[in-house]
Amino acid sequence: MKILLIEDEIELIASIKEFLEKENFLIETAMSFDAALEKVLTYDYDCILLDIMLPGGTGLELLQRLKEEGKKQSILILSAKDSVEDKVAGLELGADDYLAKPFHFSELLARIKSIIRRGKQGGEQVITYKNATLNPENREVRINNQIVTLNRKEFDIFYYFILRPTKLLEKTTIAETVWGDNADQADNLDFIYSQVKNLRKKLKEAKADFDIQAVYGVGYKLI
Amino acid sequence: MSISVKNYTSRYIAVVILIVMAIWALLFYAFMMDEVYDNIDDGLKNQKIEIIRAVYSDSTLLETKDFGINQFRITPSVEKNVPVKDVFSREFIFMPYDGEDEPYRVLRTSFNTADGTPYSLEIRTSTVEEDDYLINLAISLTVLYIVIVLSILMVNYYVLSKAWKPFTRILHNLNEYRFGEVTSFIPVVTNVKEFEVLNANIESMIARNEKAFDNQKVFLENASHELQTPLAITINKLELVLSDESLSEEQMIKIADAKKSLLRMVNLNKSLLLLSRIDNDQYNSVGQVNGNTLLLDIINELKEIIEFKGLSIDVNIQGEFTVNMNTNLASILFSNLIRNAIKYNMDEGKIMVDISVNEIRISNTSNSGALNPDYIFERFYKGKQDNQSNGLGLSIVSSILNKYPFLTLQYLYVDDLHTFSIKK
Repeated sequence: MKILLIEDEIELIASIKEFLEKENFLIETAMSFDAALEKVLTYDYDCILLDIMLPGGTGLELLQRLKEEGKKQSILILSAKDSVEDKVAGLELGADDYLAKPFHFSELLARIKSIIRRGKQGGEQVITYKNATLNPENREVRINNQIVTLNRKEFDIFYYFILRPTKLLEKTTIAETVWGDNADQADNLDFIYSQVKNLRKKLKEAKADFDIQAVYGVGYKLI
Repeated sequence: MSISVKNYTSRYIAVVILIVMAIWALLFYAFMMDEVYDNIDDGLKNQKIEIIRAVYSDSTLLETKDFGINQFRITPSVEKNVPVKDVFSREFIFMPYDGEDEPYRVLRTSFNTADGTPYSLEIRTSTVEEDDYLINLAISLTVLYIVIVLSILMVNYYVLSKAWKPFTRILHNLNEYRFGEVTSFIPVVTNVKEFEVLNANIESMIARNEKAFDNQKVFLENASHELQTPLAITINKLELVLSDESLSEEQMIKIADAKKSLLRMVNLNKSLLLLSRIDNDQYNSVGQVNGNTLLLDIINELKEIIEFKGLSIDVNIQGEFTVNMNTNLASILFSNLIRNAIKYNMDEGKIMVDISVNEIRISNTSNSGALNPDYIFERFYKGKQDNQSNGLGLSIVSSILNKYPFLTLQYLYVDDLHTFSIKK
């Protein structure tokens, strides 16, 4: 999987690159509008992470150029601006998704995977881990090919777990992803705790070959 | 107590005219009386000369012992060689016509006949009735005074009303002016120079203030904006550290706590950014919003957490609430209110949503008493039970509603229920 990261903040590039490489992606970077344009027009990527503010031009201009050249790439906009106009303009110009900075890495990964999945024609849609499969399209979870009924939030949480099995998923990340803003409230963390508890029960009942483990007080991981 | 500028000068004018007229009346009276006595006295002196001449040629006149039709009498002088000196006096003498004593001017003098016999001569003539004169003068002056003052007041009132009309209009327009809306002050067209200057000064003052305010807003937006990148870098670096399996529990908890605080900062920053964007009119596009479906969507989205908190929610729909506003702002608005109703509820509490054509009411039970509606919409105001919120949720709600003057937001505390009502 090859990803192009178009971003001008060196520190951010370093972090994103380190994270995505651990997730077995190949990362190329471009730090200016011109460098990005050249790479975007020359090569094909599974996903392009595009910052809006770039030296030499904006991400929106880059999308415009791509559209004019008739070249289709899967693009995830990463912007510190988080403005509705940019988001709408970006999506209209052919971007696939929009993620506001700052973001959680697990959120970034979920978005990238979803974009790559959608970009693949007739490819494998389901995510598999041990004896479990998860289909993001019809929101179906099967264990040993038996459907496990999960409520909406339990599904969302399980989706994040199965995207990064054996990796730590922090409680705050789960809370923010399933509850949105104001996620750092104590009672929301209790809510997450109860949802994870229910999820574990259901996985156990369905005889899953794995379990969700608490990692100190910080979060959970799928083992 | 303040009085209108129209009456302000009138007071002084009335007093000044009174003083001026009083002084004038005194002088006028003094000069008039002086002139009158001067004339009468001259007449009396003339008469004296004529009488003495007549006496010299006709000594029978010396027998005029009483005032008769001649209005003089001649009496032999007791003293001899009295000096020939004229003495004027004012006396009251009965006048049959009026039936009372009337003032007379009397000239007393003496003369010697040709044979040297001294006689005294008294000549009298009716003179002005000074008190009547004074009363008449006072009455006519009072009438004059009243007429003058009244006409000045009227002229003042009408002329000044007309002259100050642009000013009252400027005052009215200033009252209409709302901060943040440059166009809400309408300058008044006038040909009075002072008001023109006033207009221009007000306009430039407003422009200066608005500019300062705009700069402030842009500054806030940029500052919040610029914070995002370093926050993103820090948070992501901490996430990378957290994924290190060799960390001890203690280290991991500390890093997670640090990240949690940073996330709080991100949320605060996002709220500030949202507030400044609302204030900077960056949510201008307007669409028709169906409050019913929007609220039901939001409630559905939060269903699990409502269940988890053991809250019951009761949606009562009596009509369709539709409104023309920005769709993003509408969902932020209702979502903030519903989230608050969940957040500040109590165990086994209730949330009531009443929707009618003109009103949406969101009520919730709570352990705390009534909130102070003077403060709850203030930025960074925090209630007692609240240590996690950033205190911006309700200010965002009120900022959004400020953009739509046809919507009013009201906080009510009735029957132990906190109620937020949005009315068209």
